[in-house]
Amino acid sequence: MPSITLRGIKKSYGKVVAADGLELEVENGEYLCLLGPTGAGKTTALRIIAGLTKPDSGQVLLDVRDVTHLEPEERNAVLLSQRYSLFPTMTVAENILFGPSIRKVPELDSRKTLVELLDLVRLTKRADSYPRELSGGMQQRNALARALATNPDVLLLDEPLRALDARLRIDLRHELRSLAKALGLTVIHVTHDQEEAMVMADRIAVIRNGRIVQIGTPREVFDDPVSPFVANFVGQSNFFVGNILCSRDGRMTTVEDDKGHVVFARSSEIPVDSKVVVAIKVGNTRVVKKSDAFLTGAVERALFEGRVVHLDVNAGDLGRYSVKLPASRRDQVAVGDEVGLNWEIPKASVFPYPEGGLEEELRVD
Amino acid sequence: MKRMDWVVDFISRKGFRKGWTVFIVAFFLFFVVLPTLYVVTYAFTDWSAIETAVLSNPETLSTIVDSVVISFEIAAIVTVIDFLAGLPIAWILVRKEFRGKEFLDTLIDMPLAVPTAALGFSAAVFWVMNPDPVPFSLSVISSPFLLIILLHIVFSYPYMVRSLAAILEEIDDTYEVAGRTLGASRLTAARTITLPLFRAGLATGVILCFSRSMSETGGTMIALSTMANLGIGEAANFFTGSTLIGEWRSLVETDPTYAPSLAFVSILLIALALILLIILKLVIMKFHLPLRKVWPMQEKMLSRGIFPKMKDGGALLFLALIVLIPSFFIFTYVLFSDPASLDMGALSYALGYSFLVAGVVTVIDIALGIPFALHITKHRDRASSNVLDVLVNVPLIVPTAALGYSLFLFWGSIGTGGASFVVLILAHVAFTYPLVVRNVAGAVEEIDPSFEETARTLGARPIQSFHRVLYPLIKSSILAGAIMAFTRSLGETGATQAVLGRNALTAPVYIVSLVKADELYQAGLACIILIIVSYIFMLLLRYLTKKRKEAI
Repeated sequence: MPSITLRGIKKSYGKVVAADGLELEVENGEYLCLLGPTGAGKTTALRIIAGLTKPDSGQVLLDVRDVTHLEPEERNAVLLSQRYSLFPTMTVAENILFGPSIRKVPELDSRKTLVELLDLVRLTKRADSYPRELSGGMQQRNALARALATNPDVLLLDEPLRALDARLRIDLRHELRSLAKALGLTVIHVTHDQEEAMVMADRIAVIRNGRIVQIGTPREVFDDPVSPFVANFVGQSNFFVGNILCSRDGRMTTVEDDKGHVVFARSSEIPVDSKVVVAIKVGNTRVVKKSDAFLTGAVERALFEGRVVHLDVNAGDLGRYSVKLPASRRDQVAVGDEVGLNWEIPKASVFPYPEGGLEEELRVD
Repeated sequence: MKRMDWVVDFISRKGFRKGWTVFIVAFFLFFVVLPTLYVVTYAFTDWSAIETAVLSNPETLSTIVDSVVISFEIAAIVTVIDFLAGLPIAWILVRKEFRGKEFLDTLIDMPLAVPTAALGFSAAVFWVMNPDPVPFSLSVISSPFLLIILLHIVFSYPYMVRSLAAILEEIDDTYEVAGRTLGASRLTAARTITLPLFRAGLATGVILCFSRSMSETGGTMIALSTMANLGIGEAANFFTGSTLIGEWRSLVETDPTYAPSLAFVSILLIALALILLIILKLVIMKFHLPLRKVWPMQEKMLSRGIFPKMKDGGALLFLALIVLIPSFFIFTYVLFSDPASLDMGALSYALGYSFLVAGVVTVIDIALGIPFALHITKHRDRASSNVLDVLVNVPLIVPTAALGYSLFLFWGSIGTGGASFVVLILAHVAFTYPLVVRNVAGAVEEIDPSFEETARTLGARPIQSFHRVLYPLIKSSILAGAIMAFTRSLGETGATQAVLGRNALTAPVYIVSLVKADELYQAGLACIILIIVSYIFMLLLRYLTKKRKEAI
C-alpha cells in the first residue's frame, strides 16, 4: 500500500515553476531518495507533502487520506530541515519532548519515550545541554530523536547530512538508513548528492525542473538511465554524438559520427540514420591497447585521488573523456601518452539526440 | 485544562484565524492610519476657509512658513550631529571589548527613560543664559534656535546610536579584517568597506532622528517657556511647526477662527514628513557615496597614535556633556533652588492618570501589534503586506501634534465627545503602536522560519508554535517595544494637548502648566518624581521578565 502519493502537483512562484505535474508514490516502509540538482524542486516537493507549501493544483495523499488541504500539524509527517531547527531555548530533552507535550501524552509515557530515544541516539549524557553546545552530528541525532518522539507515519528529510563534515556524513549514511529500517518508517530523503542516494535509497526518484524524470532502484537508475541527463547526473558519463549506422540483430548498436569515428553500444529501438547520443559511465570507460580501442586520445591530465587515478583524455574532435584507473595502475600511464578507450558494449546507453542540444540537456542549474 | 484545549482548538480554526487577521488589519487601518491622516480631508471639505484664513493672510502664512522652515532646519542639523557623534559610540559598543561596556550601553538609553517634558525643562535650566545661574549649569545659550537643537539632540541621539549599532552588529567584521590584511589601514578599511554597508541602518537612524525632532512638542514647549521665564523674551515668540500647533490648539478652544490655520499647519507638516520619508529612503538606498578614493599615508597616520583616542574621547565627552548631563541636570536644579510647596494631590492624580493611560495603551499595542507584525512578516510575498509595512511608519514620522489634532477632528467628528479617556487612549495607541510593530517585526524577520515550520510538522498548532517556539526567541524585542511604547506614551505632551486641549490631565501636561505659570521649582520636582517613577517602573518590568525567563 502506498504511504505517500502525489498526483499532478503543480506549484509556481511567479515565473519559476517549482513543481510541474509531480507524480510520485512511496510505499509503506520505503526509503526513497529524491535526487536532483539545486533548484529542481526537491525542497518544494517535500514542503508540499509536509503541508508547509500549498500546491497550486494536484493532490497529496498520506496512506489513502487526502491531506491536500490539511494543516501541517494534522498530517503526522515530520520534516527535518537542513539545519535541524533545534529550538535554541530548549535543552536536548525538552526538544525531544516537544511533540509529546503538544499531544498531551501522559507524563509517564513521555518519560519512557524520552529515555528510550536518548539511548537510541546516544545523547543520554547530554540531555540537559542546549543545542548550541552540541557538535553537528549530535544536533542531527537530537533533531532525529525529536522527530521520532512524535511517532510519525512519514519522515521527511531535507538534505539531512549536508551540514556535517565529509567523514561524518559518510558514517551517518548507514546509521540513518538502518534506524529508519529498524523502526519501519516511510522516509523521503532529499539530496543532491548522487553517491548518498545510491548508498541509502531503496528507490531513487530523479527530479528535474519540477518533474520526476526517472524512478527506480539505485541499480536501475544507474544502469538504465532514461536520458543523457540522468546518465550524467547519476554517476557522470562520457558522451559520443553520431548517427545510427546499424542496429544489428538486437545485440548492439553501431554509431558513426560525421568524422568517421565508429563506436558500439547496447541495442536500441531507435531507427537507423537517427542522430543519437551514446552515454558511457566514467566508471565503465576503460583504458586499453590501441588495437582493442573504439577511440584514441592523448592523456591531458592525470589526478591521483588516492584510491583511483582520474585521467582526462583528449580525443581530438570528440572532446574530452574521463576515465578512472585503479591506483595500482598509476605508473602505467603518464601525461602525453596516446591511449585507447573502450567499454563493455551493453554498458553504453543510446538516446535520441535531445531537442535543445546536448549541453542544454546536461545543465544542472 | 479542558477549557484551555477548547480555546486552543477554537482559535486554531481556519475561519477564526481568517477573521482574526481581518480584524487586526482593520484595526490598524481604522484606528491607526485613518485617524492619523484624517486632517488631510479638511483640505478637501473646507479649502475655502483655509484660503481666507491662511493663504490670503500674509501674516499668518509667514508665521506658518517660518515655523515649518525652523522645524526642518533644526531636524536636519540635529540629524547630522547625531550621526557624527553617534557613529564612534556605536562603533565602540559593537567592536570593542572593555570593562564597563554594559554600563555605557545602559547610559545611552537613559535619556529615553526621561519623559521629554522633563528633558525640556532640565536642558533649559542647564544651558540657558541666566543672570542668576544655578550652580554647575553652563548658562551660555541665549538663542532659542540653539537651545532647541541641543534639546533635540538629547532625545534623538539614542535612536541614532541604537540604529547604527544594530546594523554594525550584523556586518561581519571579517570584511574589514580582509581589507586590512590586503594592506588597508584601520580607517581606510572602516571607511571604504564597512561604512557603505551601513546604508540600511543609516536610513533607519536618519528617519527616526529626523521625525523625532520634527514632531517633538512637549519638551520643546517647556524648554521655550522656561527660557522665556528666565528672561529671554525672544523665546516666547519662537515656534517650531509642532509647538505652533500646540499653541493654536489651545487658542482654538476660545477662538474657533484658528481652526483653518491649525488644519493647514497640520496638513503641511504631515505632507512634508511623508515626502521626506520617501526622499530619504530613495536617496540613502540609491545614492552611492563617493568614498572610493583613498589617501593611504594620511589615513594610516590618522589610524594610529593619538587620533583614534581623540575620536573616542571626543565622542564620549559629547555623550556626557551634551546628552547625559543636561538630561539629569534637573536634580541639581531642584537641589539648589528654594523649596516651594507642591500640590501633591494634583501631581499624584496626574501621574496616576498618565500611568493608567500608558499601561492600557501598551497592553493594546502588544495584543494587537504582535499579530500585525507577524502578519506582515509572514506574507512578504504579498504586495498588500508591503503596503501595510510602509503604512506602519506613517504615525512614526507624522509630527505628534499634527497627529493629535487629526485624531481630535476624526473622533470628534464621529461624536465620541465626552469619552475623553477613550479618545486619549486611541490617540496614544496611534503613535505608539508602530513602535511595538517595528520592534517585533524586526525580530521575527531575523528568525529562521524553519523553527516554526518544524514545530508545525511536529504537531503544534500555530498558536502553540508561536507560544512555545517563536515567543521565547523574540521576547526581548517585545519587551523593548513595550518599554518604548510605554515611555513614549508617558512622556507625550503634544498629541495629548492636541486631542484634549487644556482639559488633559496627564503628568507632562501638568508639568507644562506649572512651567507656564512660572512655578519652576514645583515643575522641577514634578519632573524628578516622573523620572524616578518611570525608572523604577522600567527596572521592575525588566526584573519581572527576567524572573519569568528563569522560571521556564
